[in-house]
Amino acid sequence: MAHDLGFWTLQALNALQLSMLLFLLSIGLTVIFGLMHFVNLAHGSLYALGAYFAASLAAVGGYWMGFFLAPVAVAGVGILLYSGLIKRMRKSGPMAQVLVTFGLIFVLLDLTRIVWGDLALAIDVPAILSGRLTFLGVEYPTYRLFIIALGLAIFAALAFVLGRTQIGAMIRAGVDNDAMAACLGINVERLFFIVFCVGCALAGLSGAVAAPLLSVTPDMGLQILIPTLIVIVIGGLGSLKGAIAGSLIYGFVQTFGAVLAPQLASVLIYALLAAVLVIKPVGLFPAKG
Amino acid sequence: MFRHTALRYAVLVLLASAALFQAFTAEYFGLEILTEILILAMLVLALDIVAGFGGMVSLCHGALMGMGAYAYAILSTTAGIAPPVAMAGAVALTGAIAWAIGAICSRSHGIYFIMATLAFGQMAYSYVFEAPIFGGDDGLGGISRLDLSFVGIDLNDSRSFALFCLASLGAIYGASVLILRSGLGRSLTGVMHNEQRMRALGLTVWRVKADVFGLSGMIAGLAGVLAAQHIMYISPGLLSWTVSGEALVVVILGGLGTLVGPLVGAAAFVVLKHELSAVTTYWHLVVGALLIAVVMSRANGIFGWIEARWGARIDRRLTDATRKPEAKEVLGDA
Repeated sequence: MAHDLGFWTLQALNALQLSMLLFLLSIGLTVIFGLMHFVNLAHGSLYALGAYFAASLAAVGGYWMGFFLAPVAVAGVGILLYSGLIKRMRKSGPMAQVLVTFGLIFVLLDLTRIVWGDLALAIDVPAILSGRLTFLGVEYPTYRLFIIALGLAIFAALAFVLGRTQIGAMIRAGVDNDAMAACLGINVERLFFIVFCVGCALAGLSGAVAAPLLSVTPDMGLQILIPTLIVIVIGGLGSLKGAIAGSLIYGFVQTFGAVLAPQLASVLIYALLAAVLVIKPVGLFPAKG
Repeated sequence: MFRHTALRYAVLVLLASAALFQAFTAEYFGLEILTEILILAMLVLALDIVAGFGGMVSLCHGALMGMGAYAYAILSTTAGIAPPVAMAGAVALTGAIAWAIGAICSRSHGIYFIMATLAFGQMAYSYVFEAPIFGGDDGLGGISRLDLSFVGIDLNDSRSFALFCLASLGAIYGASVLILRSGLGRSLTGVMHNEQRMRALGLTVWRVKADVFGLSGMIAGLAGVLAAQHIMYISPGLLSWTVSGEALVVVILGGLGTLVGPLVGAAAFVVLKHELSAVTTYWHLVVGALLIAVVMSRANGIFGWIEARWGARIDRRLTDATRKPEAKEVLGDA
């Protein structure tokens, strides 16, 4: 195992890139759960939809059109889901929600197969991001650096909105105690709706961003779902800090596990999750103590 | 506590006679479907015990079933142990693993319990997928069925095998009823309704949960052994979390916490799957929409709905008219 520093830098960047992709997905899911106590297993399907929208839009108007419009389109789907299903499921127990969204996975999976077919789609990386950059002494694909930068930018923006603005304070109050927040005159229901839409848009964005890296297939949503759930359960539900910590832990354990102990890599992350659940059943940084 | 109403007996008799009729009249394909239903029914029975009567919604039962299948395959082929001993070993091993999972997860509730069991299931899945001894994603083949030739039964015949599965399912159903009626089963339901109170009564809550989870794991393991013997080939896909999800769907479609309902659900699910996949490749769409509709309707599955709608009326008609109808059982809240 004699690798030079460049090798480890490369692996660290790979880990960081995976973490950021997962962060974009998990932040939406975790805040939706923290605020609404709603378990949306179909979040991964929204990510897949984002990738498909991006692929279709990119075929028409180039990569950037897909990049900017896919999140909007997925947020539109989110609005439909919210008014049709989720609003009515708000008062149900976690099991009913898990099942309804599990059914939704089936439905969305087959709908994407009907609309886009079973074959994998591909998107080209835009010219400006297609090369390689020398970064910290290693050559690294520009597009992956772009994902890392995007993830960090979104993290910063969300940290600012949640921590420094009035709507952020309202969301935090809602997560902490929704009944009390409602008593203080906050329209919690509308807050839920906004957060849900933003969460969906972020899922769509991560789909659009991931599309050039992975091939766009109907089951990509199912594949990403488990890692996303692991991230939010390790990190603790409902908090930004938990989402970023969980994503980083997952990304680094997965990437370095694959390098150092390929035999154990996939088991390692589940063992870590089990350990976290045993020691701290509510995750590392839950929104509520 | 679990109680048999007249309606439940009637549905059981109906299901058993339909299965027997199918077993003696059907051709090869019909028998394969029947066996598939019987094995799925055993798995969902195991799941209903923990989810419907203990509130432990497990997403690792598919993995437990897969463990039973793999344990049997390894013990009977690689280790060369006689099939009956290998079966017992596989069931015991699955039960032990399930007991440990139940013990570890006993502190988690709600969504965290679901996630924790999912984690253990996925852990098993990835391990089996990667470890060379389990054949990786190629799976394992050449699994032999139980040899019952000393009593003149050849299980390699699909009719005999279907009847063997039916008999096993019947025995397991009886055992499940006994478990739920025992002190352990009653404690479990008590824990589901109010854990604090049961603890105050001096009960060791985690032991109750772990014990029942272990027993349920043994049933799931047996279902896995039968599945391995049925197909005679196994692949890691058996342990995937979607199998557990599907099992949960079947329990919900049938009726959670009714024990009879999941059997109805298993039959309905397998038949629906085969009928739909003959018509369209998009059968997941229909199943998904159906699942959403059932959960949104707030009925407790097909059987639960019948029970809530007409249960009392049918029971009155079925039981002696002079006897007072029994107090209606309060169903576990889905």
